[in-house]
Amino acid sequence: MASLFSLAWIYFRIGLIFVGGGYVLIPLLNHIMVDQYHWLTLRQFLDGLALSQLTPGPLAMLATFTGFRAGGFLGGLVATVFIFLPCVILMLVVGRNYDRLKNIDIIKSTLDGLLPAVVGLVAAAAWNLGASSLTGIKEFIILVIGFVIFKWTKVSPMVVIIGAGLVGILVN
Amino acid sequence: MDKRTQNVSLIEIILTFAKIGLTGFGGGMAIVALVERICVKEKGWITSEEFLHGLAFGQILGPFSLNVCTFTGHHLRGIRGGITAAVGFITPSFLLVSLLSWLYFTYNKLPQLQAALKGTNPVVIGLIVVVAIDMGRKQIKGGSGLLMALAAFAATVVLKLNAAWVLLAAALWSLCASFYRRRCN
Repeated sequence: MASLFSLAWIYFRIGLIFVGGGYVLIPLLNHIMVDQYHWLTLRQFLDGLALSQLTPGPLAMLATFTGFRAGGFLGGLVATVFIFLPCVILMLVVGRNYDRLKNIDIIKSTLDGLLPAVVGLVAAAAWNLGASSLTGIKEFIILVIGFVIFKWTKVSPMVVIIGAGLVGILVN
Repeated sequence: MDKRTQNVSLIEIILTFAKIGLTGFGGGMAIVALVERICVKEKGWITSEEFLHGLAFGQILGPFSLNVCTFTGHHLRGIRGGITAAVGFITPSFLLVSLLSWLYFTYNKLPQLQAALKGTNPVVIGLIVVVAIDMGRKQIKGGSGLLMALAAFAATVVLKLNAAWVLLAAALWSLCASFYRRRCN
């Protein structure tokens, strides 16, 4: 079990570099939780991703799952509060000054310029997770079916994940 | 600010956003659409233009679904309103994930659950691939963007660098490029 203070500090730092709509959390949390602190195995990390997609909250609910693993219910609470703290504070500051923000074009163009790196990181996460967790042809086929559904239909991820769970029970 | 927005109570804010956080399955843009429908169209709490500004700022840091809630709450009742809206939106998902996490770590030895998760794992990876492709098509414009995406990919896959450092390096590079472009104009 990790101390709540160190959990708070870890998730707060992640919250500070949390750009590009949330998916950048996948490579960040994967590195920190699995490789660095060994709080989760790779399998558990992927299971947590599936669970966090079952809720209306953002993908960042992954923080709740990983925090829960590292420190129980309180760990999940601390992780959730601190990962969202930087963006909530920022939005409050923005809300307060939003017609006075001056160098906004610089912020905007810096962020736009940074987003390709986020794309590269997300692709790398898919590569790393796939390379170390896909073991058979059966799983690869499920991946392709999932890909096709997500890419070309509007079915909610929640429905797809529940369906995939049922398929998993049937074929294993 | 008209009278109507002055009078919105914190209780009403928390209940509204908890409802959004409870029913907005689909995440991301689905949430934004729901907040727009309820707060702009139904309740008239915020104008459509202000809402879009909030959405644009919401891209800066963190998930924009949460950010538009915070922004709208702040618009209604200042800092307390913003925090109330954020808490209301996150709490249902937080409780649900906590419950699911507890079930998961208590019962993950069950063969049925193991089998089900064997099915969900590849689908989650498929989802990440789709996100990478969709984001790539929207965000990568031109050769330098492509180069940056490839460099970030190689840095994490081949060199095994920490994603946080890659991100910071990209941010620094992008900031310099922005200043440079501004000087040229």
